[in-house]
Amino acid sequence: MSESIVVTGMGIVTALGNGKADTMNALQKKQTGIGKMRYLQTSHADLPVGEVKMSNEEMRDFLKIPADQITTRTPLMGMIALQEAAQQAEIITKRPKKMAFINGTTVGGMEQSELFYQDFFQGVHTEYIAMHDCGAGTEAIADTIGGFDLMTTISTACSSAANAVILGANLIKTGRVDVAVVGGTEGLSKFHLNGFNTLMILDKKQCKPFDKDRVGLNLGEGAAYIVLEKEQSALERNVPIICQLSGYANTCDAYHQTASSPDGEGAFLAMRDALKDAHLQPNDIDYINAHGTGTDNNDVSESAAIERIFGENAPFISSTKSFTGHTTSAAGGVEAVISILALQNNFIPVSLNFKNKMENSTFTPVTENITDKILHHILTNSFGFGGNDSSLIFSKFEQR
Amino acid sequence: MNLYIQAASQISIQEPLCEDWFEHPIFYEERYQRAIDPDFKMYIPPMVARRMGKLLKRALVTSSNVVENSATQKIDAIITGSGLGCIENTEKFLQAMVQEGEDFLQPTFFMQSTHNTISSQIALHLKCHGYNSTYSHRGTSFESGLLDAFQQISLQRIDNALVGGHDEMTPDYFTLLDQIGYWKKGAINSETLRNSDSDGSFSGETSVSFMIENRKKEFSLCEIKAVDLLYKPSIERMQTAVDDLLKNHHLTLQDIDSVFVGISGDVQNDTIYRTMKNKIFQNRPLCWYKHLFGESFSASGLGMYAAAICLQKNCIPEHLFYHPQKPMNGINNILVYNHFQNKDHSLILLSSC
Repeated sequence: MSESIVVTGMGIVTALGNGKADTMNALQKKQTGIGKMRYLQTSHADLPVGEVKMSNEEMRDFLKIPADQITTRTPLMGMIALQEAAQQAEIITKRPKKMAFINGTTVGGMEQSELFYQDFFQGVHTEYIAMHDCGAGTEAIADTIGGFDLMTTISTACSSAANAVILGANLIKTGRVDVAVVGGTEGLSKFHLNGFNTLMILDKKQCKPFDKDRVGLNLGEGAAYIVLEKEQSALERNVPIICQLSGYANTCDAYHQTASSPDGEGAFLAMRDALKDAHLQPNDIDYINAHGTGTDNNDVSESAAIERIFGENAPFISSTKSFTGHTTSAAGGVEAVISILALQNNFIPVSLNFKNKMENSTFTPVTENITDKILHHILTNSFGFGGNDSSLIFSKFEQR
Repeated sequence: MNLYIQAASQISIQEPLCEDWFEHPIFYEERYQRAIDPDFKMYIPPMVARRMGKLLKRALVTSSNVVENSATQKIDAIITGSGLGCIENTEKFLQAMVQEGEDFLQPTFFMQSTHNTISSQIALHLKCHGYNSTYSHRGTSFESGLLDAFQQISLQRIDNALVGGHDEMTPDYFTLLDQIGYWKKGAINSETLRNSDSDGSFSGETSVSFMIENRKKEFSLCEIKAVDLLYKPSIERMQTAVDDLLKNHHLTLQDIDSVFVGISGDVQNDTIYRTMKNKIFQNRPLCWYKHLFGESFSASGLGMYAAAICLQKNCIPEHLFYHPQKPMNGINNILVYNHFQNKDHSLILLSSC
């Protein structure tokens, strides 16, 4: 068995607040971050969303971004999360030899492109054209702290950040880098809000994951990164180990461009292969932080897959998208951080707004905070358009 | 670990799905070229093709081609690099939203606008439940995907992978990039772009697929010995990367028959290659390929393709040499070096097999 991949830092910004402490506090108090739209300019302002509670200007001030630097909301949030993660893992003060930054995003610079699109053709606001593609934001985020030797951007829609975790872990296992900062960022845009709206999968009220009467998801935004390295690297750099990444898998549902299969084949394969990768049995898993978007289709498909793996004895399950909204490309990172906070604090957050069990489901999600269980292994799911399904398993770190 | 290219296939601004460019390259005088598409009806049922954008059709045809030509029974991974993703569908949804407002939008274009549409549609058509990913990182999107496959094969997580680089250039995106100086102004001559002293290049399109696998077959094109990605490397860091790469494979610089570079006629872009040539690659002959294929975010995929074909044919044709020279025979090793805006750099070492 290869050496453990451990987590030594985390950073997060979502509708729940800026940083791990705010996030944990909101989860413990069962306070959702989803509410009335404040920043996004759209004719669908009646839709509840999980916005980061800062304007672009406020984020620029917070980060002390020079006035002449062009940037957009997605990288701004990424910069905030990266700084927190970098600080905790001490990657600036205790520099690793080689370091990678792997970022998941899909919206890229769309949030400004959609505002200035017609201007672009008139030669106005053209400074935003070069910020449109996904990679531009990744570089801008990384450059705020510098020191990265290898960098790339993953865009697999709503599983982007989870796949960034997987690539980062593989980069460490092959010895290409000593440290990988991995995760994702995604700001709300009119483009994808309208896209989801045309698919008729947005709930006009607070979303109800795994509820019989669920009608759709609420979109959110945010950024989250975790810092991965080998146990040996963490020891050498003398930084505390938070937990370990014990297994992961990426599979494809190969069923439909935007819908999940009724039997949850892709999700089933992702969870099964992640367990195998971690050398764990289903009953080792204490908690599943589900993809749980609250759409009719996802929750049926994911439940079917969970039943196929866990049978009648599903572990504790909740969807924290009822707190953050669906942060799309960032979700895999956001939910990795939430899962690790749960593991660290032996705390299982709830699924908000749940009332009635889905027909034929083998489980009901957690609705009261659980604080009296020692948690060893947590599985978190991220599924995306195109059937891009990924599962990650985080475990308490045990020295071998 | 050994890794081989079992099959390669391209649709670009050269004759599609063949290697005609090797002996009969097409040169252009317009700064904007769309790919020469094959007759898609021959490859995709019209009812299926009707719902697909050009990029998706190209990706599907080149992918099916390499799967068939490599006689691969089970594909373990599908990995795509695309700098812009399905930009045509993105633009259609965006234009409708900007021009007609938010109330009467249709989902069709949004559904196929995400960057991962290509990888996932290939999976759908090839019925592949394995690893599936998409990289969208500027001019090194393709190499990012290749690196992912390379690593997973070396970690024995997979035995083979379908790796592609796919980028289209729509008229609108061409115009936008023109606003920020991506393209030359006025007419060009792609054959003599090497002498250019102005900014900008000419635009092409890329759709290139490879089947790579960890065992040699009689028809394998070449071996992929190394893949490296570097962000903002200093000259010293670049030198170390090249030295390490050579040392790891028991090679010296003299064993590299040619360095394939992304010289495009854009003076800012090309200056970096000249510096690297002077400081690192020294007397090794440079070859270029963007005069054949044009500039696009995944053009480096066509660079690797051209190098692989040269290794297979054991010959580098005259027209690929940056400094004119006779065709070179007896090719053993080619280094493919690419950079994007002097930030993202990549190295791919290919060897004959």
